[in-house]
Amino acid sequence: MRFRRFLAPFIANPVLLVLVGLVVLFSLLYPQRFLTGLNLTTILKQFVTLTLFALGPSMVVVMGSLDLSYVGIWMLGGILVWLLAPTLGPWAILIFPLLGLGTGLFIGVIHAKGKMPSFILTLCLLVVYWGLTAILSRGYSRAVKGYEFITAPLVPYIPTAFLWSLPLIGGAVYLMARTRIGLYLYAIGSNEEGAQLAGIPVTKYKIIAFALSGLFTGLGTIILFQHLGGSVPVELNLKNVVWPLVAIVLGGTPLVGGSGGPQRTIIGALTFSVFYRGLYLSLLHPEILQLLVGVLLIVSIIVGARGIKGVEIT
Amino acid sequence: MRGNVLSRAWVRRNAGTLWPLLVAFAIVLGFQIANPAFLRYEGFITLIYAMSYFLIAACGLTFVIMMGSFDFAVPSVLKLAALLCVMYIGRFGFFAIPLALLVSLGIGALNGVLLAYLRVPSFMATLGVSIVVEGIALYLSKGFLHIMYDERFRALATTFLLGLPAIFYWAIGIWALSTFLAICTPFGRRTYAIGGNLIAARLSGINVERQRILVFALSGFLAGVAGVLYMAQLGGGSMLIGSDMSIPLFASVVAGGTALSGGTGGPHRTLLGVIIITWMQSGMLMLALGRDMQMVIFGLIAVAVAVATMDRKRIRVVK
Repeated sequence: MRFRRFLAPFIANPVLLVLVGLVVLFSLLYPQRFLTGLNLTTILKQFVTLTLFALGPSMVVVMGSLDLSYVGIWMLGGILVWLLAPTLGPWAILIFPLLGLGTGLFIGVIHAKGKMPSFILTLCLLVVYWGLTAILSRGYSRAVKGYEFITAPLVPYIPTAFLWSLPLIGGAVYLMARTRIGLYLYAIGSNEEGAQLAGIPVTKYKIIAFALSGLFTGLGTIILFQHLGGSVPVELNLKNVVWPLVAIVLGGTPLVGGSGGPQRTIIGALTFSVFYRGLYLSLLHPEILQLLVGVLLIVSIIVGARGIKGVEIT
Repeated sequence: MRGNVLSRAWVRRNAGTLWPLLVAFAIVLGFQIANPAFLRYEGFITLIYAMSYFLIAACGLTFVIMMGSFDFAVPSVLKLAALLCVMYIGRFGFFAIPLALLVSLGIGALNGVLLAYLRVPSFMATLGVSIVVEGIALYLSKGFLHIMYDERFRALATTFLLGLPAIFYWAIGIWALSTFLAICTPFGRRTYAIGGNLIAARLSGINVERQRILVFALSGFLAGVAGVLYMAQLGGGSMLIGSDMSIPLFASVVAGGTALSGGTGGPHRTLLGVIIITWMQSGMLMLALGRDMQMVIFGLIAVAVAVATMDRKRIRVVK
C-alpha cells in the first residue's frame, strides 16, 4: 500500500521516471563529473532559461494552439532596451513585458478573428521580429550595462535567476490550476466547439491566452536578458526556439491540448536540462547532439499523443 | 451562367486568379521604374534563375497545403539533397542524383508516417525532422563550402535553350506535371477531398493514411529535385543553401491562392505566387534592401495573404 502511494506521482507523470532514470544513469556514467556543484548549478541555469521561455507558451499549448514568438520577444526587446536605456535609464527594462503583452494581444486578435493557424502566424512574427532586431541593431550584438543586480549572487550554488523565476512559475501554475481563465483554457483545448456551446466566449479567452503567454514571456525575458549575458543575438538560433518546445512536450502537455500545463512544463524543462547536460559531458559531436534533440522532440510528441482519440490531426 | 468577360460577376468569380496577376504586374512595373535594369535580358535571366528552383519546391509544398497540412522540412530537405550531390558526385558519378532523390523521398515519407500513423501534427513532425536533417547536413558537410567541379552535372541546369537556362524548362515541366496530377488524376482529387473535409473523405472510402504518406513523399521528392537542380545552378554550396527560404516559400504558395484551410487552390496557382515573391525578392536585392528588411516584409506579407485567403465561413476550428 505504501509502495503504491510512493509510485502514484510516477504513474501520473511518467516523465518523472525518465528524470530519475537519467540522473541515476549519468551519475553512474560520470561519477566524478555529474553530481558536482558546478554541474548541478549549470543544470539549474539551463532549467531557468528553458522554463522562462516555455512558461507562457505552455498555457497556449493547453488550448491546443502554439506560440513560437518567445525568442522574437527576447531579441527585439533586448535591442529596444539598448535603444531606450540612454533616455529612460533603468526603467527601459520594462519594455519587455510591454512588448510581450502587445505581441500576445496582436497574435490573439489575428488568430482568433482572422482564423489564421497560430503556429504559422507566430512563426512569421518571429521572423519579422528577427529582421527588426537586425535592422535596429545594425547587425551587431549590443550589450547593455546596469542590470547586473538582477543576477547578483545571493545563495551559493543557486543562480539568482532561479530565485527570481519562482514567483513567475507560481503565478503561472496558480493561474492555470485555480482560476476561471485556466479552467476555460483547458475546456477550449479539450473541445473547442463544446466549450463554445457551453457558453464560454471562446474568441475572448483565446485572445486572453495569447496575451498571458506574451506577458509571461515578457516578464521572464527581464530575468533572461541578464541571465543570458546582458545582450541579445542578432542571428536567430533555431535551437532557442525548439528547446522550450521540447520542454513543453516532454513534460506531458499533448499538442492537441486539453491537459498538462505549466506545472508539467517545469518537470519537462528539468528533465531536458539533465538530458542535455549528461550528453554534453559525453563528448559527442555537437551535430549529433542537435540530431538527438530532434529525435527526442518527435519521440516525446508520439508518446504524449498516445491514447488521445477523436481528434483529427492535420 | 457564364457572364461576359470583365462583367462584375466574372471579376468576382475569378478574384483568386486576378489579384495575384495584378500584383505581379504592379511589381514588375514598380521595380522597372525604380531600376531600369530589371527587365533587360540579363536581369530577366536572373529572375528566371531565382524563380525556377523555388517553383519546383513550392509545387511540392502546394500539395501538402492543399491537403490542409504543413511541411516545414522543405528547405532542409533541399539543403541535404544539394549537399549530398556535391559531396558524392566525385565518388558515385551521376548515381549521386538518384541517391539524393531517394533520401529526399524517404524523409518526405517519414514525415507522412509520423502524421498518418504516429499522430504527430504535421507542423511539429516536420519541424522535428528538419532539425534532424539539418544535423545530418551539418555532420556531412562539416560546415564547409563545397565546390561542384563536374561540368556535365552543372549543364543540367545551366545549358541555354532558346535563350533561357535549362532549369527553367525543368521547373515549367514539373509545374505542368504537378498541375496535371492535381486536377486530372484521382491522386489530386483525393488530396483536395482530404483538405476540404477530412472526416467526409474518410467516410467516402479514401485511404487517408496512405494518401497523406504519398503527398508528403511527393513534397520531399520535389524538394530533393529542387535541391539537385539548385546545386547544378549554383555550382557549389554550404549549410547556407535554403536557410532563409521557409517564410518566402510559404508566402508564395499562399499568395498564389492555395489557402491554409486546405481543399482549394493548386499548383497552377502557385506559379503566380512564386513569380510575385521571387521577383519581389530579386527586385529588393537590386534596390539594395538587405536580408533583414526582406524578412520583415515577407513575414508581414505572409500573414496578410494567409488571412486574406483563409476561407473563414467553412472552417470551424483553427488551432
